[in-house]
Amino acid sequence: MAALRYKIIPKGVIDGKVIPLNVVFVLKKDVDAAGITDDRAIHEIAKNTQGASGISIFDMDAVTTTSDGIMIDGAIIKMGAADNGLVNPDFGILAMAEIPYSDQIVEEEPHLIQWKKSYSGRKLFRGPDPSEKIIPVHNVVISGRAANNNSATEMMDIVTMEEILLPILGQMQCITGGDVLVGMTGEMISVGIGMTIAEKFGRVFPTRQFKAGESAHDCGIYAKTLKKDIPCIVAEKRVLADYTMKAIENGCVPARELGCSPVVLCVAKHMGAEIDVGRITAGAQAELDAVGITREFLAEKIPALSREEILRRADELLPGVENAKKINAKEIVLEKEISVG
Amino acid sequence: MRLMHTALPDFIAKMKDAAKKNVPGKNISIKGLENLQSAKMQSLRTGRIEKAVEELALRDDIDGVEMIVMPRVPETMHTVVIKGVGKDGKAQKAIVDVINILHPTEEAVLSDCTEIEDRRPPIGRH
Repeated sequence: MAALRYKIIPKGVIDGKVIPLNVVFVLKKDVDAAGITDDRAIHEIAKNTQGASGISIFDMDAVTTTSDGIMIDGAIIKMGAADNGLVNPDFGILAMAEIPYSDQIVEEEPHLIQWKKSYSGRKLFRGPDPSEKIIPVHNVVISGRAANNNSATEMMDIVTMEEILLPILGQMQCITGGDVLVGMTGEMISVGIGMTIAEKFGRVFPTRQFKAGESAHDCGIYAKTLKKDIPCIVAEKRVLADYTMKAIENGCVPARELGCSPVVLCVAKHMGAEIDVGRITAGAQAELDAVGITREFLAEKIPALSREEILRRADELLPGVENAKKINAKEIVLEKEISVG
Repeated sequence: MRLMHTALPDFIAKMKDAAKKNVPGKNISIKGLENLQSAKMQSLRTGRIEKAVEELALRDDIDGVEMIVMPRVPETMHTVVIKGVGKDGKAQKAIVDVINILHPTEEAVLSDCTEIEDRRPPIGRH
């Protein structure tokens, strides 16, 4: 009888923040070790899990990008949704597309210079190939009440209408047992989510719809309240600072190769790195202005800090999650094992 | 195409009739159509659904029938018309945009049921 191991944050409450459904992390290597397919793994976990669940399968040897273009270790390769053991046959499972490496795609998507320089030879996954969808719905899977959305980085119970934001770096911390911040999104994250970059088969958009320097939200002062009051589990800030600095050290410039999210802009400013302010569109700047990231703030000269100091002071220097508590992931993530013979 | 589709009030009446057809005391509750003021329902399926209602109502172990109508495709794209209306009641300007709405799928209402017979054709067939 083969065994399948996985991790789960059960539906419930963590430090006063509602976790509206079960959040399940499965490693591809554990699926392979169990000798079953990815889809079977999702169904088997669904059968063993009560209530609504978002189930995601990770390849930790691959790489992915954040919505603002930072390349990181590990990738979600398939997402599923389940409700009381049931997985919708048409809309319950969706695979992410592997992006083959080519010099042409690095030219078309210049933030992928990170891939060439620092992650050569690794597989890259972001969002699904729309042609794999039964009809062109968003990058979402839904079974019953459970929705696993934006390529498995936000999950919700559609009936209670409660949601949780799960940025990819926070999920990686949950898998590796690192420290996470459990908090509420707040205005900075609400604005930052919209500062995406142009990617084919991206996490949120299947086409290169919005470029670095633009805002996908494009709604002025309303951007800061769009996703302001949502529970979230994010990586501790030094992890985000580390990857963001690595992207900038690889030659990526905020608003040119990287999205102009508040975090990316603040890290660049403290590094004394270039920000392509001229490419921040009026619409994106209006959203940044609403959270205090004005042109004057960006132009203000401050002493550049060393990499080590930015890492050490990340909690103070990086904007982001509000009302947060730092928790080691091992305290909130349970390890499970089921028989799948 | 009057004959190809069934008017919404007729659809509802047909379902109530089907539930009571053999046992007058059996009722049906219908959820999911509350927001529809006017609609034409696909006739090809209306007859089959009437038959299904009657079939369930006939069973001795069934006391009443529940019908839940929900989007089969759980993300529906809607046009949003925002109209500015003047004092005279005339629209002065309209902005047209789009919004996707996510809906639960059938699993949300099936998990308490032990016997499920799926009579739906594949998506794309009717």
